[in-house]
Amino acid sequence: MKVFCVIPAYNEARSIVSVVGRVKPLVDEVIVVDDHSSDKTLELAQKTGAIVLHHIINRGQGAALQTGNDYALRHGADIIVHFDADGQFLAEEIKDIVQPIKNNQADIVFGSRFLGKKSNLPKFKKNIIMPLAKLINKVFFNINLSDPQNGFRAMSALVASEIRIENDGMAHCNEILIKSFKNKYRIQEVPITVIYHEFGQKFSGGIRIIKDLIYKKLTK
Amino acid sequence: MFQQVFALLIIVFFLTRLINQKKKNQITKNESIFWFIFWILAALAVIFLKTIDKVVAALGFSGSGINFLLYIAVMILFYFIFKMRLKMVKIEKDITNITREVALRK
Repeated sequence: MKVFCVIPAYNEARSIVSVVGRVKPLVDEVIVVDDHSSDKTLELAQKTGAIVLHHIINRGQGAALQTGNDYALRHGADIIVHFDADGQFLAEEIKDIVQPIKNNQADIVFGSRFLGKKSNLPKFKKNIIMPLAKLINKVFFNINLSDPQNGFRAMSALVASEIRIENDGMAHCNEILIKSFKNKYRIQEVPITVIYHEFGQKFSGGIRIIKDLIYKKLTK
Repeated sequence: MFQQVFALLIIVFFLTRLINQKKKNQITKNESIFWFIFWILAALAVIFLKTIDKVVAALGFSGSGINFLLYIAVMILFYFIFKMRLKMVKIEKDITNITREVALRK
């Protein structure tokens, strides 16, 4: 089975080379989608030997992931992995996240920071933001996952072709979840480790996600 | 009376601008018709302000006709802002599609 790893990157010059270097030996193809970075991300990524796609305008992480998905689907991917460019995920856990799909036990697999493995989550995020995000997902979308805001995921080619990410910004996380539940895919969660360098998504970011989801619904 | 004449002068000014823009083909036919009707209705509202006062009072509103028109204007403005926002979201979607297509072609 051909495994493609999509890495959306925006101003990740500090980490892109090492991230691609660690992921590349573990998958069949690495696709870096440079989302019009203002630093040297594009040039550095091109030197890694990965396939590099370049957004001529900054469009957001969701848009970059869909561009990567489109490329992977056109080039015969069987499994697509979404991986962050900032080095907060562990490349060696890619095999754990694709395994349920390879074993035909799941169509889409989400990484979770709350299933045993240790992640150094900031306290405010762990105790306030995450429970709030979980509650919103449960109440409004009937989604019950231990970690609904995780960007580390793997999906089969079929799922990737059926789920089109329409939220260009950070709301894509919820969008993928909502569509996965709606389409009744076999969903699994696997424990993953997250190493926090920065806080990540802020509270204001969470508000923006909700706003984006509402607007997307209205403009359907 | 003076305020009414002043308001009508402003409306006439906008109407002449509208006609000029149409002559220069700066706006579409539908758009010019919309704004023409809009300004004519505004002029009628100014001319028949006393009648509107009576209608508004008959409907049970405590304010005067001009207040009522102001409320309506604010409501219409909100609606336009909302419509514009939705249009912007659609334009953003188009920009994303174009950006993606360019990225995938290279």
